[in-house]
Amino acid sequence: MTNRSVILVGFVVGILAAAAPARAHHGATNVYDFSKPVVMKGTITKFEWLNPHNQIYFDVTDEKGVVSHWIAATEPPQVMLERGWSRRSLKEGDEVTVYVFAAKNGAKVGNLQKIVLADGKELFANGPPAPAPAK
Amino acid sequence: MRNRLMFLATLSLGVVTFSLVVSAQTPARGAAPPNPPASSKPADLAGDWAPDGRRGGIGQSLSISDIRGAKRGNEDDIPYQPWAREKTLAERTSTGPDPQFGNTTDPQVLYCEPPGVPHIYLWPIKTKFIQTPEAVYILHELGPYYRVVRLNSKHPDDPDPQWWGDSIGWYENGDTLVVDTIGFTDKTWLDQMGHPHTEKLHLTERYKRVNATTLELDMVIDDPGAYTKPWNSHRNFTISNTGFLRYQQICSVRENRRFEENLAKPALPAK
Repeated sequence: MTNRSVILVGFVVGILAAAAPARAHHGATNVYDFSKPVVMKGTITKFEWLNPHNQIYFDVTDEKGVVSHWIAATEPPQVMLERGWSRRSLKEGDEVTVYVFAAKNGAKVGNLQKIVLADGKELFANGPPAPAPAK
Repeated sequence: MRNRLMFLATLSLGVVTFSLVVSAQTPARGAAPPNPPASSKPADLAGDWAPDGRRGGIGQSLSISDIRGAKRGNEDDIPYQPWAREKTLAERTSTGPDPQFGNTTDPQVLYCEPPGVPHIYLWPIKTKFIQTPEAVYILHELGPYYRVVRLNSKHPDDPDPQWWGDSIGWYENGDTLVVDTIGFTDKTWLDQMGHPHTEKLHLTERYKRVNATTLELDMVIDDPGAYTKPWNSHRNFTISNTGFLRYQQICSVRENRRFEENLAKPALPAK
């Protein structure tokens, strides 16, 4: 393994380790599959900025043209503010790629891992685990 | 013979007297200090304090060995009385490994009641300390709730049970605020995993400013009504520069129901 590979693996492990404790407040290993996210291209239909968890509504159209309605949750607003989000981070009509830890029972709901906007910008649900120290 | 009897009687009297003196000096379990220690110079607790995601994160349980609640009722660091263990296992949590948000018995979610302390420190919210010579006001983004910690004060002899109890405090070593609280109602859970307590709960919190960006909280949970001996818990906080209370973490039955209907209930495992 090259030095670069070691650094890359270390970085990824570090990110995962930092993100794990910050998993959604109501995230549940018995309910959601945290082993890997489901990745979908979709369109935002609504973004609700509210307690106890923000709710992201989006539609996914499969190759046959069938539309599925999904909902993903994040942490509550004041936590997402801490992580660089705002209520304007998503809006209806945004074309996005969504990474979701989906419900194990097959329901089209889950905990958000991240969203990639059309311009490539990534919004991480777990964000940085803690804000930068005050100057 | 007579001398021996007198010796034994005197010895017994001495033992009894010593015992009484010791018991008078050592508060019974759950009792608050009769005379709070004199304060050192005040600790500087200025700043907005967020749960430290890099050191333990938020967690759901006060158990240091099981912060995610995977061993609820069987943690090796919680000295349950039998009824307290049974009650813990009978509760339905809203979070943790097996959440039942829509069917929870957590009074803080079910009724939107105050979580009390230390339960509030299991929430992903920031805390701020307003320090005056007479009192320390502890502000929380959840609620928003606040507590008043009286300095240079004593507890009332028979405090009325309340959600946040009766808190007095003093400073130690110039870097630590000690908060001593009794007079709790028994309606709250100690954390999100359903650990109960009684009105006999005596909570001691030590907030230590470790450095410019780090605050540590050591807690002693002493409840002779629910646990066989005092036990410890710990929280880590880091300074935050994103602003205090930019969004109010309000418990709303209406919003809770919306989350339950849209997300929690559909995700429940099939029975």
